Amino acid sequence: MSVLRALAAVPEAVVVLALPPLLLSIIAKTKAWFAGRVGPPWLQPYYDLYKLLRKGVVYSRTTTWVFRAGPIVNLAALLTAATLIPILTPGALLGFAGDVILVAYLLALGRMFAVLAALDTGSSFEGMGASREATFGTMSEPALFLSFIVMAIATRSLQLSEMLGPQLAGPWSTIGPAMLLVVGALLIVLLTETCRVPVDDPATHLELTMIHEVMVLDHSGPDFAFILYGAALKFLLLGSILVHAALPHTGWPAWVDAPMRLVELAALAGIVGVVESSMARLRLNRVPLMLAGATVLASLAAVLTLTRSAA
Amino acid sequence: MSPQTAIDAALVLVTLLGLGMLAVSRLATLVRFFALQSLLLAFLPLAEESMHGEVPGMHGFLIAGGTLALKVILIPYILSRLIRTGEVHREIEPFIGFTASVFIGALLVIGSFAVATRLPLPTEPASRLIVPVALSTLSLGLLTLVSRLKAITQVLGFLVLENGVFILGLLLLKQTPLLLELGILLDLFVGVFIMAIVVYHIRREFDHMDTHLLDALKES
Amino acid sequence: MTLLLLVLVPLAFGALCLVLPTSPLRLAAMVTGALAHLTVTAWSWLETDAPPTSGLVGLDPVGHLFLTLISVLFAATSVYFIGYHRKRLVSQRVFLACILALLAALSALCMSQHLGLLWVALETASLAATPLIYFRLGARALEATWKFLLMNSVGVALALLGIFCVAIAATRDSDTVELTVATLALHAANLDPVWLRVGFLLALIGFGTKMGLAPLHSWKPDAYGEAPPPIAALFAGGVTLGAFAGILRMFQVCSAAGLGAFAGSWLIVFGLLSIATAAVFVVGNNDYRRLLAYTSVEHMGVLVIGVGLGAAGSYASMLHAMHNMLNKGATFFLAGFIWRLFQTNEIDDVRGLLTRSPLAGVLLLAALCATCGLPPFGMFFSELGIVLAAAQHGRWWALGLFVLTLAVVFVGVMTAMLPMVFGDPPEKASPPAESPPERWRRHTMLGAAAALLALGFGLGAYQPAGVRDALVRAADALSNPVPQHVALAAKAEVRP
Repeated sequence: MSVLRALAAVPEAVVVLALPPLLLSIIAKTKAWFAGRVGPPWLQPYYDLYKLLRKGVVYSRTTTWVFRAGPIVNLAALLTAATLIPILTPGALLGFAGDVILVAYLLALGRMFAVLAALDTGSSFEGMGASREATFGTMSEPALFLSFIVMAIATRSLQLSEMLGPQLAGPWSTIGPAMLLVVGALLIVLLTETCRVPVDDPATHLELTMIHEVMVLDHSGPDFAFILYGAALKFLLLGSILVHAALPHTGWPAWVDAPMRLVELAALAGIVGVVESSMARLRLNRVPLMLAGATVLASLAAVLTLTRSAA
Repeated sequence: MSPQTAIDAALVLVTLLGLGMLAVSRLATLVRFFALQSLLLAFLPLAEESMHGEVPGMHGFLIAGGTLALKVILIPYILSRLIRTGEVHREIEPFIGFTASVFIGALLVIGSFAVATRLPLPTEPASRLIVPVALSTLSLGLLTLVSRLKAITQVLGFLVLENGVFILGLLLLKQTPLLLELGILLDLFVGVFIMAIVVYHIRREFDHMDTHLLDALKES
Repeated sequence: MTLLLLVLVPLAFGALCLVLPTSPLRLAAMVTGALAHLTVTAWSWLETDAPPTSGLVGLDPVGHLFLTLISVLFAATSVYFIGYHRKRLVSQRVFLACILALLAALSALCMSQHLGLLWVALETASLAATPLIYFRLGARALEATWKFLLMNSVGVALALLGIFCVAIAATRDSDTVELTVATLALHAANLDPVWLRVGFLLALIGFGTKMGLAPLHSWKPDAYGEAPPPIAALFAGGVTLGAFAGILRMFQVCSAAGLGAFAGSWLIVFGLLSIATAAVFVVGNNDYRRLLAYTSVEHMGVLVIGVGLGAAGSYASMLHAMHNMLNKGATFFLAGFIWRLFQTNEIDDVRGLLTRSPLAGVLLLAALCATCGLPPFGMFFSELGIVLAAAQHGRWWALGLFVLTLAVVFVGVMTAMLPMVFGDPPEKASPPAESPPERWRRHTMLGAAAALLALGFGLGAYQPAGVRDALVRAADALSNPVPQHVALAAKAEVRP
């Protein structure tokens, strides 16, 4: 039985593992379309990864094992988290009560190793990026947790695949405003954690203004491929959480459900692309204000949910 | 969307706008936020009356119309004129920074919800959110008032506070005579008008609208 | 009809002030308006004294008393103003019109039995008062105006919130809420106690801001220090009474609902805090107008403590309201006189008033004694009454603090201001910017102050039965807001 289930999960797993770079491609295409360009080929991220994987690695003599472990631990943490988050089908591969906390900490673990690896290079640029990444990460985490809390209260569950499952349809009809706030908060968290505009500009070329990109300057070859793929995977994971929270599917047959999720994820990537094309990056000192805004949105949602559930 | 959900959503938006006013530094945007908040409030009496399946009566329409005319159009117009003709367009260094005041604001909102649970209403309200949102808006307005330096922002803080009082007044929509509400609106308008005149004088006297220059009077 | 006249007469004369072409005519219009108002007020006492039963407006004992006090103060001030005013006043029309509009708003406030109407009247009063503070123009006056406007607006908004809370408390009973004091008091048992408490506290803070109770008094020294002294007199003796009336209305509802002890405790807390604050800031203050403003904070504290102490204290409080009006009028009139004479606000620069103007010196000395509550001035009796009431209720802590802080204020005021009266006049006085006022101006100013002081002295030494009766009835109305015959009628209605 469990073997069968595991086998059934194989096609989904394949799609999930193959999907992330494509989402980046959608964003790139959207931006290109807005700018009136053709943009890179659809499969460009895959070519990049392939190229990087074939290359050799250069390690600076000042670095230690932490620098080498960084990309691997980061990717491993994200892949583990992927097993706990429902992506295409309503249920995740694994799941237990309280796994939402594990997911949050897996994301934090990945970020911590990225930061440590950046610090390990001893470069002041990377240290600066690491400091920013750590600051913004700390500030986006309360928003993420509060959003989880709202959904946990609304669905009375601590298991991510239930919290994001069809049970959410009920809260949407009773505490719609609160759920809307949660989606808003999650969107800001998504943009922050995946280093997109308006928090960070992945296309920037000035180290002083970079956050994420500056941290990974010293990585090369397969290590850098892991980082790129990890970033794309993170987008997929947080995007799935967002999409599941925003649009609960109740009683849809599996053959409609999973393709719909794909469409929704693609649409989300498109939206991020639109945001990137229409907004400028925020001044660095305004970013905390936006993250505070996300936290406030989520806490307001929590308060609303509590008021309603107390009634 | 049922009137109930509409009222709830509007009230949540009102709170968010109140919080937003703590995060914004451009005075013109602040005025727009206030106008938007008042617009939402103007429709609440109508929504509340239509909740019971009735066509909104004279009373509701007059209050909505009065709010619309004064708080959405006239007062924002006066304030934005003041801003346009002056040199100051931004709140630059408030007493309490933007991020900090947003956080304090969020705490105030949470506190308001906590207090509201201890104030059970004698009758079933149109929305459970009325009391907590009224208290939140009130305290957010007060926070804006005390944490900002520009005279215009302080006026806006007062107006937000007034909006909080208005929300609580929604509970009494059926019970209070119309005359009273119009009197209140009129007083508010005259008050803001006088404030605008004073702000104008402050600007002429000091060349800008910073109230921290107003600190000559104190015990030596 | 009388009620209507009380509002319309000042308004009409105010409008007249706006249109009349010359300054003497306008001044005459203002004085006539104030005196006409006083006449109508006096007339209202002669009318059959059927207390109001229902309706939005009416003169109950408290309102009637306050109306009379305010009317007397405005009449005295208008006479004083003839002597005080200068030709180069900017836009005298608006100024005089605002004074009369303030009088109209305060009259409306005293007679409104409906809490909402009372609020509207109070807000109108504070809006009419704002231009009066800004009258001297310039940065300092502007600052005082801004603080006054902002703090009072917030206070008034909180008071409105409090009134709404009371209205919500009343929805428990019925679908329609009539916010008149008598109706609320009649059905007080049905009021929701939680909301009533919240409402009272908010209204206390709100009206208290307007009245100048600590800790929300900070606009007061600024406004009184910068506004022309006759305006400060109107504020300290008149506008504050209006705000006090608001607190009293709420207190009436609370005490009818059996929350008198709760409300009283808070009144005592705010009152003691105000007196203590005044004590702290009076000592060592070097600006006589600001110092007088702090004594006003003190007297506001005494007023609310009296009410908070129940029936015995209420009488003392009403007595204090009367003497506060007379005394604040006289002291600020004298402050205006001194300001005209010495052209300074600094206490250190004012010396030897007794030599420069013996009459003013004697009057100031008397006014100081009255302010500090020395017998036979009336404030001695009102403060003594409060001490006795506190002792009667066994509130020893309050009593001790009350006496101690009053003593500090006494020492503070006397050490600061006695040197103004005695001592040598400054030898080489720098040539004042303005020439000292002419003889007739001096006599008008001092005459108005002397009249108020004499009234205070006379009413302290000997209280005619009529005055005593009015005070007693006002004090009674505080604990029994429902007139006797209305209560009886309501009972009769219930019985069958």
